[in-house]
Amino acid sequence: MRTEKSRLIQIAILAVLGLAAALSLALPQLLRGEREEQLLSLSVMLRDTDSSGWTVARQGMEQAADELGAELRFLTLTAAGDSEEQEALLLREIEDGAAALVVVPADPAALSAALDPWLVVCPTVTLESPMEGASGVVAPDNAQLGRELAQALLEDWDGGEVLLLDTAGRCAGVADRVAAAEAALAEAGAPVRREPELPEDAPRWVMAFEPSVTQRTAERREAEGRDYTLYGVGSAAGVTAQLERGNIAAIAAWSDYAAGYLAVRRAVNAARGAGGALSPLPFFILREEDIYAPENQKLLFPIMSSSSR
Amino acid sequence: MNVFRRLAAQWVERYRKMSIQMVLSLAFTAVAAAGMLLMSVSLIWRFSSANEQLVAENSRRVLAQANLNLDSYLRRMMRISDTVYYRTIKNMDLAEDDLTGDLSLLYEENRDDLVSLAVFDGEGGLVSAVPLTALKRDAETAESEWFQAASRSMENFHFSTPHVQNIFDDPDYPYRWVVSLSRHVQLTRDGATEGGVLLVDMSFSGIEQVCRDVTLGSGGYLYLIDGDGELIYHPRQQLIYTGLLEENNRAAASYRDGSRQETFQGRTRQVTVKTVGYTGWKLVGVAPAESAASPQLPLFGLTLLLFSIFLMAFLNFLISARISDPILRLERSIRELDRGLADVRIEEGGCYEVQRLNHAVASMVSTMRHLMDDIVRQEEEKRRSELEVLQSQINPHFLYNTLDSVIWMTESGQQQEAIQMVTSLARLFRISLSKGKSIIPLADELEHARHYMNIQQIRFKNKFVTEIEARPGTEGLYTLKLIIQPLLENAIYHGMSSAEDDGLIRVTAYREGEDLLIDVEDNGLGMRPELAASLLEEDRPEVRTRGSGIGVRNVHQRVSLTFGPGYGLTIFSEPDEGTLVRIRLPALDEEEAERRRQGEEL
Repeated sequence: MRTEKSRLIQIAILAVLGLAAALSLALPQLLRGEREEQLLSLSVMLRDTDSSGWTVARQGMEQAADELGAELRFLTLTAAGDSEEQEALLLREIEDGAAALVVVPADPAALSAALDPWLVVCPTVTLESPMEGASGVVAPDNAQLGRELAQALLEDWDGGEVLLLDTAGRCAGVADRVAAAEAALAEAGAPVRREPELPEDAPRWVMAFEPSVTQRTAERREAEGRDYTLYGVGSAAGVTAQLERGNIAAIAAWSDYAAGYLAVRRAVNAARGAGGALSPLPFFILREEDIYAPENQKLLFPIMSSSSR
Repeated sequence: MNVFRRLAAQWVERYRKMSIQMVLSLAFTAVAAAGMLLMSVSLIWRFSSANEQLVAENSRRVLAQANLNLDSYLRRMMRISDTVYYRTIKNMDLAEDDLTGDLSLLYEENRDDLVSLAVFDGEGGLVSAVPLTALKRDAETAESEWFQAASRSMENFHFSTPHVQNIFDDPDYPYRWVVSLSRHVQLTRDGATEGGVLLVDMSFSGIEQVCRDVTLGSGGYLYLIDGDGELIYHPRQQLIYTGLLEENNRAAASYRDGSRQETFQGRTRQVTVKTVGYTGWKLVGVAPAESAASPQLPLFGLTLLLFSIFLMAFLNFLISARISDPILRLERSIRELDRGLADVRIEEGGCYEVQRLNHAVASMVSTMRHLMDDIVRQEEEKRRSELEVLQSQINPHFLYNTLDSVIWMTESGQQQEAIQMVTSLARLFRISLSKGKSIIPLADELEHARHYMNIQQIRFKNKFVTEIEARPGTEGLYTLKLIIQPLLENAIYHGMSSAEDDGLIRVTAYREGEDLLIDVEDNGLGMRPELAASLLEEDRPEVRTRGSGIGVRNVHQRVSLTFGPGYGLTIFSEPDEGTLVRIRLPALDEEEAERRRQGEEL
């Protein structure tokens, strides 16, 4: 009886040891299977027709995608700020299996309503403007940016009306900048005028709140030989060049590279179910004489790896 | 402490209940597992250590190669600078000659690596430059770090950290990153020499290409810093510039050449440093500790350990079974012996000691069996001697009484009766002898009883009548000899002693199944049934009475000893009614009687 019991115990011990050995043998395979996460497909959509202003941001996005195992699809609109086209394209991307979206929303409210049922399955990260239901927004503190840019203008201001180029449309982020700048100027007693486009009789002080608008307005100043003093936003090479050429007095700049990188990183993490909060992007007010300060060089003119060019 | 004691007691208790095979196999396995664990840990440690050394060696080799490539690249740049200086600048008088043509040629030859070539006078004024020929209107050349460095140390080349070259007027604003190689040069103008600075702007991508494809194992990378720890190249340089990533470059600037472990942001990594000759730059190779000690390694070690333990346990179980099985078989045999099985065979298998043990036990069992046989034989002999004693106890008493009667009759002239008595006595003794056999034919026993009663009737003057009958079915049966005579003697002395002339003693032999019954019945005084029952009790004190003096109990003992406890006497008696003593024997035929006789003789 005792011998039978011993034999059973021995068989049980052997079985346990055998199973443990087999399990430890299979464990690396199982772990590798867990570790080898699927390549995620991410769609990136801007609200402009031309993505040249987003070159640096795109490089940041690609760096993040490369590190985190994601594949990016860049989409542009046929008409700038066309929120309906943007919604349609994004819905198509979701149907095509996009794991997450990175969007510069043309109309955050409308886009949120359109994507609402999908935002759970397809996390969306926005750039520039916050959007309800989104997994995060990568943008500077727009109101603060507007205030500080206005402050930069006020440092030079010696009287006269200030023209605010209100190109926000339904873009909340830009609208916040405009509103905050307007409030700061009004508080300082500067007369303010809003215009959707640069008028022929533009006053001496002009503020633009989008990189593309800043660049266009600066180019017009040089091309048309006008003498308004322009304050704008952006850190794209075109904007920086205009700053250096003296067509822009000061810009509120941030690292597009960091913005692109953070947006994709947040989108990938959200798609993989990881949480995390995003802080507002740091920005700084830059004047011509500060462009080549070593730290500014690093932010304004990203070093791109030859392999990613 | 109590917990330990209790655990120890539990362990001892469990140990006591374990089979020898279990104890052996568990002990072997535990010792083997401990040994293997020790060996595995030692091996893994040795392997990890060797792996770390290997990674360090590999890093050093890779860095040496990268250093060679970088050095080669930088030397090429210095050669370009030398060429510009010694073959062009030194041979030209700026008042008469233009450097641009030569610079352009040189630039075109090396345009993949160069961004610009330029010569400045001592005040920072542009003498000549290619491919861009004009400075920005507000360019502050003399304030540039590369210009000042060249002016400070006139004998040396100076390599700047990467920067955007911003002094040339380029309508495209390309913002190219360069590493500036600057040196102090002697310019000749109108035959007079003056100081100046030669600038060779190397494309950052040239350095990047040298460093980019260097791989340092899984997760490893290489970066380049200047003597102050300022980053020159890093595979994730822009992330560091934007503050999204940190590198330990400042600390690395203080490291000497060689490998070391550092902990940065909670992660241990192996850092190998190699200083690039002349520039003071440092190539830093980083290999995460996890890549040195592969994460698979401990798992592989665990698998190896578990598999070894499994194999060892399997072998141990087999070996311990081989060792313990003979002992278990011996234990089983002893248990069977204990249960009383006679034909238990003790195998003499197993190893030497177990064989000896088996042999010793087998020998002991054999001795025990012999001893038991001896005991049985001795008991048998004792029993037989007791029987013989019992038989011998009968004869002297009876002989004395009979001879006394013969004397008495002879003296009284009753010669005929005396003759009859002596004849019967002779006949009686002849049957008693029966050639020494204890089992005799029933007919002889009854004949013996008849002669005995003849003698007694003469002695008791025919105070009683005797009837002896053998019923059909008893022919040819055998009985123990001299078992009726003591009962008759008892009937005479106890039953007939007070009888007048109407006494009757009846002997009836008959068969009941497989038994032979002999009833000896008298119509004498009888006795109480309790007394009758107590007559056969073994612990009853012997009361010597008249007659044979031994009484029915001796007969009962003889019959029981000879045929077993189921046989013997039964006494039925009632006061004033008489007594019936029944002898129960097995119905022995001649063959069985003969077999028993032979058994007795053995």
